[in-house]
Amino acid sequence: MNQMMNQMNEQAQQSNAPRSIRVLVIDDEQEIGRTIRAGLASDEFQVEWTLTGKTGLEEVTRWQPDVIILDLFLPDQDGVMVCRAIRAHTQTPIIVLSVRESEQDKVLALNEGADDYLTKPFSMPELEARVRVALRHVAGLRDHALREARFQTGGLVIDFERRLVTVDGVEKHLTPTEYDTLVYLAQHAGMVVRHRELLRAVWGAEHEDEAHYLRVFVGQIRRKLEPEIGAPRYILTEPGIGYRLRAPETPGD
Amino acid sequence: MNTIIGERTRQVRAGRQRHQMAQRMWQERWRAPWFGYFCAFVGVVGVSLVIALVQAQTPIANISLLYLVAVLWVAVSFGRGSAICAALLAFLADDLFFIPPFYRLTVDDPNQWLSLFTLLATALVAGQLTAAARARAQEAQESRQYTETLYALAQLIATATDDSTLLTTLAQWGSDSFALAGVRACAILQTDVEGALTLCALTPANSSLMPLPDEETILRRANQALTTEQPINFSLPTGDALAGDSPSPACLACIPLRSNRQIVGALGLIGSEGMVRLIERQANLGDDQLASLFGAYRDQLALTLERAALRRQAIHTEALRESDRLKTALLESVTHDLRTPLAGIKAAVTSLLAPTAQRSLVAQHELLAAINTSADRLNRLVSNLLDLSRLEAGVAKPHLEWYTIDEVIVAALDTLERAGQLDARRIVVETPDDLPLALMDHDQIERVMINLVENALKYSPAQGVIHIAARVIRDELETRVSDEGIGVTPGELTAIFEKFYRGQQPTQPGASRMAGGVGLGLSICASIIHAHQGRIWAESQPGHGATFIFTLPLSPERPLGELPELPGRTETLALPA
Repeated sequence: MNQMMNQMNEQAQQSNAPRSIRVLVIDDEQEIGRTIRAGLASDEFQVEWTLTGKTGLEEVTRWQPDVIILDLFLPDQDGVMVCRAIRAHTQTPIIVLSVRESEQDKVLALNEGADDYLTKPFSMPELEARVRVALRHVAGLRDHALREARFQTGGLVIDFERRLVTVDGVEKHLTPTEYDTLVYLAQHAGMVVRHRELLRAVWGAEHEDEAHYLRVFVGQIRRKLEPEIGAPRYILTEPGIGYRLRAPETPGD
Repeated sequence: MNTIIGERTRQVRAGRQRHQMAQRMWQERWRAPWFGYFCAFVGVVGVSLVIALVQAQTPIANISLLYLVAVLWVAVSFGRGSAICAALLAFLADDLFFIPPFYRLTVDDPNQWLSLFTLLATALVAGQLTAAARARAQEAQESRQYTETLYALAQLIATATDDSTLLTTLAQWGSDSFALAGVRACAILQTDVEGALTLCALTPANSSLMPLPDEETILRRANQALTTEQPINFSLPTGDALAGDSPSPACLACIPLRSNRQIVGALGLIGSEGMVRLIERQANLGDDQLASLFGAYRDQLALTLERAALRRQAIHTEALRESDRLKTALLESVTHDLRTPLAGIKAAVTSLLAPTAQRSLVAQHELLAAINTSADRLNRLVSNLLDLSRLEAGVAKPHLEWYTIDEVIVAALDTLERAGQLDARRIVVETPDDLPLALMDHDQIERVMINLVENALKYSPAQGVIHIAARVIRDELETRVSDEGIGVTPGELTAIFEKFYRGQQPTQPGASRMAGGVGLGLSICASIIHAHQGRIWAESQPGHGATFIFTLPLSPERPLGELPELPGRTETLALPA
């Protein structure tokens, strides 16, 4: 079976070596590893799968993946430590994939440098979308030219040049601070933005402990953008952690 | 209202008791023996003076009968001994002052002897009869008091609502009723199932008359008394400040309490050394009223403790039985609810893997969708079970932070949407714009919202609207989830919050596939809300839908500020490097 997989990998490498996205999975669960490899295996992705934190770190330096998918429950060490070790020498996006679902676990992993967090059980399209968001973000950081003049997700459009926000074509009047908050979320669209990070970016470091007021504030923006709570939502809450603006649909998704 | 009346009755009763005590203390003082003889003397002197005055005006033959008045008075007031003394004094006074020759014991006229001895005999007999009547009256009075006190005690025990209040009241009663014997405070100790003693009541908690020993000392001494099975008396160190006030050294007497030969607890008496007599006298004869009252008190106390122990045991047994029932129900439900989705997955997968099968894409998709649904169902069951066991074990202490409820409602609806559970169902959310911040555990309250909405989805028709509303009522935040479904019968309104209780089967054949709960959802909600110091209940008119309502307390210390509005930036924000 493994042989067959390796052959498939080699084939993928041969046909798509220069352009494919390298995804490293560090997870000791056979089913998860196998499923991610099968699920992402297309012309676009090249998936490597390793079982322990130690081999994972080796692979990071040797293979230089574009995205790392990391389990927190590894046989040899805690995934959070692996996360920290990876961050020590590379900015490669890390998506944590874990059965631990408490706020504290998520915050801990994010504080140690993880870019995103997905709890098991998860859906493959969701994982793929997160991988793409992480990549796009890295690309945006690397190349300023890739930044666009407008942002769109669903019916929500932000025109950065005219400082204009519309939902389904209807202009929404946001205060300057509300606008700044929304823009910051849009610049990280699809990614989780922690309360402290958002507070520091918009209000400055002296306000970074006022997450409770931020909740009230974001509630105001929500009421302006999402008049009916039952309708599609743009600002998603990550309980205890922060907010995530819905990622724009990529063509072909 | 009832408690107010109860409180009043208790106060009145306590007042009456104190009055009785004061009376008794007064009588006690009068009973001092020398005082009676002194009064006999004074009485006779007084009557002698009166007779002398009368004789000086007009001599009257049988004026010496006036002495009887003094004798009878002394007999009524002080009893037999004083009456005899008065009779003899009267005899002497009559002889000395009113029968010639004066100031001498001899009598000239032999007839006078006769009248003198008649006086003595009459005084003695009348005095004795009166004293006997007095004794009987006194006895009757005392036994009436005794009965009344016992009755009050019995009433105390009969009207008590819970054990701990009863024991406190009994301890209070003890220190009040035996204050005369020197008792200052009463401690009641109870033996638990393992035989260890716990201090249930100590009243008064601190005494102005003497320093009370601490709990540890009482427990240690009481344990010593229990090992010897005999009352033991320990002297206590006297407090410096109060040394002058308490003439006799303070002591702690520990008395084991037995009921049916079994030790059920101990009584600790703290007071002056004199109270030891109470215990000893009771052990020996028991003719003293206070001592026999003490005996009755001790017996009642033992009975009360025994009854409390039995009640505890019954509750314990009931809890064991209930936990047994829950385990069985859990096993049955979990087996059923785990196996059903597993069976679905297994069937679909084997069908897909079958080498001979030639299936259309549509059929394949259907099988895969079935696997997906089953997996979600398994996941929900596992999270519910985990939540419940964590909540039950007290591990999941709510991690409280300030949130507005609408944020949690949104998060819950989001989760449901992503799980594909909302489909095209109409959900109307009504929350005021100025909802206050409330302390809650986001994950847990989201779980409550998810469970309530899932419940509404499960038990209402596909076209029914689900309303979610939040509002502030006084110092509480109230959230309601209403559906237009089959409703809940009045008998089920509280039962639905119990574990493994399932309402009537959903009417929608399609909806039942969504159900997949083991009747844990609402009981999880109840556990979470109770851990938040809130309330949860259901209202329903069968056939017209049900409303589930929960409240969260609004703390007066909630943050009321807000984030400042800034001028806004000309550039878009810089991205982090």
